[in-house]
Amino acid sequence: MRLLLVEDDVMIGAGIRMGLRQEDFVVDWVQDGRAAELALAAEAYAAVLLDLGLPRKDGFAVLEGLRRRKNRVPVLIITARDAVADRVKGLNEGADDYLVKPFDLNELAARIRAVLRRQAGRAEPRVTFGRLTLDPAARRVTQAGREIPVSAREFALLEALLHRPGAALSRAQLEERIYGWGEEVASNSVEVHVHNLRKKLGDATIRTVRGVGYAIANDSDAPCQSAGNSS
Amino acid sequence: MSIRRKLLVALLSALLLIGLAASGATWFAVHKEADDVFDYQLQQMALSLRDQTMQNQAEFFPGFDYDFIVQVWDPAGALVYLSNQSILLPQGDNGFGTVPVNGRDWRVFTLSQADKTIQVAAPVSLRRDRAVSMALRILVPIVAAIPLFALLVFLIVGEGLKPLEEIAAAIRRRAPTSLEPLPDGGLPEEVRPMVSELNGLLERLREAIETQKRFTADAAHELRSPLTALQLQIQLVERARSREELRDALEQLKAGARRASRLVEQMLTMARLAPEATLEEPAALDLDRLAASVVAEFEPLAEAKAIELRLGRVEPARAIGQEQALHTLAGNLVDNAIRYTPPGGRVIVEIRSEEGGAVLDVKDTGPGIPAEARQRVFDRFYRLPGSGVEGSGLGLAIVKQIADAHRAEITLGETEIDRGLEVTVRFPKAPAG
Repeated sequence: MRLLLVEDDVMIGAGIRMGLRQEDFVVDWVQDGRAAELALAAEAYAAVLLDLGLPRKDGFAVLEGLRRRKNRVPVLIITARDAVADRVKGLNEGADDYLVKPFDLNELAARIRAVLRRQAGRAEPRVTFGRLTLDPAARRVTQAGREIPVSAREFALLEALLHRPGAALSRAQLEERIYGWGEEVASNSVEVHVHNLRKKLGDATIRTVRGVGYAIANDSDAPCQSAGNSS
Repeated sequence: MSIRRKLLVALLSALLLIGLAASGATWFAVHKEADDVFDYQLQQMALSLRDQTMQNQAEFFPGFDYDFIVQVWDPAGALVYLSNQSILLPQGDNGFGTVPVNGRDWRVFTLSQADKTIQVAAPVSLRRDRAVSMALRILVPIVAAIPLFALLVFLIVGEGLKPLEEIAAAIRRRAPTSLEPLPDGGLPEEVRPMVSELNGLLERLREAIETQKRFTADAAHELRSPLTALQLQIQLVERARSREELRDALEQLKAGARRASRLVEQMLTMARLAPEATLEEPAALDLDRLAASVVAEFEPLAEAKAIELRLGRVEPARAIGQEQALHTLAGNLVDNAIRYTPPGGRVIVEIRSEEGGAVLDVKDTGPGIPAEARQRVFDRFYRLPGSGVEGSGLGLAIVKQIADAHRAEITLGETEIDRGLEVTVRFPKAPAG
């Protein structure tokens, strides 16, 4: 899942980015309101972590502009402003959650997942499709109750495909979701990850949609083909 | 001692004294006058008897049993006439005299003639009584007026002090934290200055508390950032999965702790410089020496960042001020310059004398401060956006506070060649010596 972090404090920004990377989030970090707007215009993010006291453009203004443009990306406000009035204003202006500094990294990650879950329209913490179950918090994939070990990128790719099960995503869209800025992307990396996932989960799990890209397929009818790949 | 009691004692004693003095004077005057009148009467009576032939004692002056007595002697010294049998005056010299007879003093007029000596006398007490009664007539009403006066004083003073009591009540009624001004309408002239001074004090107190509150709120808010960073950094240390990650995380944690302690230090400096804090006595000091010591102090920091820090043109210049505070001022400017100047740059400190006033100049080759931000950088906790430098946001606020306390003027400008920052602090002209 790719996140945009808007935080002007260098130390806090670096800490959050490092912590979220450890949770296998892809984090792009900008330090002021204008840069945030540019990034939001250019990329599709799963969620935005927004500080309020920002140089060049206040966090509230960024949020307001976002909602005015009908951008529905989930926004988590992370701020030192703890006044009830600020919290209320933040939520009323269209934020999905409000976290007051200082906070715990685990709590931040949990709240991000909760927001993403609500955004996807589900209440249960795990994503299930067919025999496949994805646990974002534990970063675990199970197929028919059996745990399948996957890499962080493979997990991110699966998560992206399961966001709206059955909908096709292009190679570029997938790349965008699993790689942050400045990360080196080999030209065929998405194909490599899809190939590996098919080996682990069975060919039928990921469907190639000709001319478009890839989509997750309901594998409940297909025979399990992962026996040989569980190592 | 209460005003009321003081006034009562003073006024009533004065009243009593005046009464006593007046009745004393009356007594004295009446006494004297009565003396003259009585003496005149004695004399007249004696003269009127001069040509009378004394026949039989009881036939004369039957009513003179009490106060006046008359005695007539013949030239041989034999008593011819005596008006009151019980009182016998000794024969005296011609003219007035006072003689005691039967335990009473008698005023006697003696008129000696060839054929007889006439003596007319009256008790002295008669005239004294008259004087005393006259004196009392003056004293009694005054003494009688004393309770009335006391009551009046009591009431008037009470009335006069009422506004004070009302103010006291108003103060008593208010909440302990209320610093609203006291009502000063309808106050007597004597009380109004006190109330307006009191209100002035309350106002200053309110401002001081307001400033303090704002600073505390700002400070608490500002402490959140380093604490947030510390908490994140600690969690990253906990989560480190490899030796390298641990090393990096610890490095960041150390930087976070340094930042937090620097902020606290700056806040302490700020608190020490607060207007209400007691500072050392200002003295004349050599700014050139001070600049040299600051440069020496920051040399290691500059070297670590590969920045050339040195003294430029330095003229002897003196300023009146607090050495510790001015050291902080120069130190903060140099520290700032080093922070914002990229490695390989230069920071130059200069001292000169302009029209008798000392001038401190700190120039760097950093990015400078855009003109529109030059006023705001002196605000507490303001940080230049996008500079990427970890600062407390207090450095320049402290500089400003010290400069203000020294009535020095700060200007932010641009260096000519590098477009870096040039901070100029102009001190007021120091008195010669």
